[in-house]
Amino acid sequence: MTIKRITFLQELLKFIGLEGRLHLEWISSAEAQKYVQVVTDFTDKIRKMGPNPLKIEKIDDVVKGAI
Amino acid sequence: MTIINQVEQLITQNKVDIFLGYKALDGHLIPHGFTRDNLDELKDLQIGENRYSLEKIATHLTEKHPDIKIGIIARDCNQRALNLLYTWNQLNPERIETVNVNCCPSPLKPHGDCSYLEPKQSGAFKKEHGIDFNIDPDSLTESYNNNERFSRWMYEFGKCIKCYGCRNICPVCFCTECSLEHSSLIEPGTLPADIPIFHLVRATHMAGRCIDCGLCEDACPSHIPLRLLYREVNEIVSSVFDYRPGDGMEKSPFTIIGDKVVLEPKPMDAIIQGKK
Repeated sequence: MTIKRITFLQELLKFIGLEGRLHLEWISSAEAQKYVQVVTDFTDKIRKMGPNPLKIEKIDDVVKGAI
Repeated sequence: MTIINQVEQLITQNKVDIFLGYKALDGHLIPHGFTRDNLDELKDLQIGENRYSLEKIATHLTEKHPDIKIGIIARDCNQRALNLLYTWNQLNPERIETVNVNCCPSPLKPHGDCSYLEPKQSGAFKKEHGIDFNIDPDSLTESYNNNERFSRWMYEFGKCIKCYGCRNICPVCFCTECSLEHSSLIEPGTLPADIPIFHLVRATHMAGRCIDCGLCEDACPSHIPLRLLYREVNEIVSSVFDYRPGDGMEKSPFTIIGDKVVLEPKPMDAIIQGKK
């Protein structure tokens, strides 16, 4: 069920324009290497995508820009 | 038999204690409860273009008087809302009598923007005149990229005056405690509302609930295309969970914990690779 819920959220965020910023992975406490790998990969991916647009865009600018 | 006779029968035969319909007042139809004590009011009962979430009134009445028997005018959207409220145990189907009316006023209703009408297949009139506001969420995803969609939605959400109209009109919003009133999530007394979180919280809560009546969009004073947003929510729910809220008496998949699924987690680099 978790995977379905996360898939739902990923699709919703995609619709809103925040695609690819949510990731789900199953990692056991015995899989330290996998954990490191996943976190590193995700950090790299996010870094490539740049900062969260919510952080840099001020609401006023968005509204002015659209008008 | 006219609707007025039907309703009169229901009331006089004690099948319902109150009948929720519409009454004309100064040229506008307002929701009204018809009762045994005021039978003469029944002559003012009218069906028109105006819609209201009558089932929401029914939910509130049932909260206060659990044994009350309620009659209700039901278009298709009202019926879907009622089905959904039954599955969430907000109303008891044994205590609700419906009088079904055309989905919306004939001839084939000028306000026909219901996704359940299957516009392309429902009659020459609609083929000719088209259906207003019936934008397909997919076309938005196809025609605009990630950034364009983001700034568009932020612009739309930025118009929000936080009137809570969308929530208040919503027939399937029945929580006693609403996250949108939680001060740590949505700061009270400030405008614009915390965006996009205000609208995204509502959108996620509509998952498995929204019956696409479109009242939220009708009610919104800022013309935020809420119906489009919740329609996308519905499409995702339908594709991921194979569930259409209000269609039958099936419970929402969001109330079920644990279920064997065949979905695989998405590979992390799929999106980046896809863009190259």
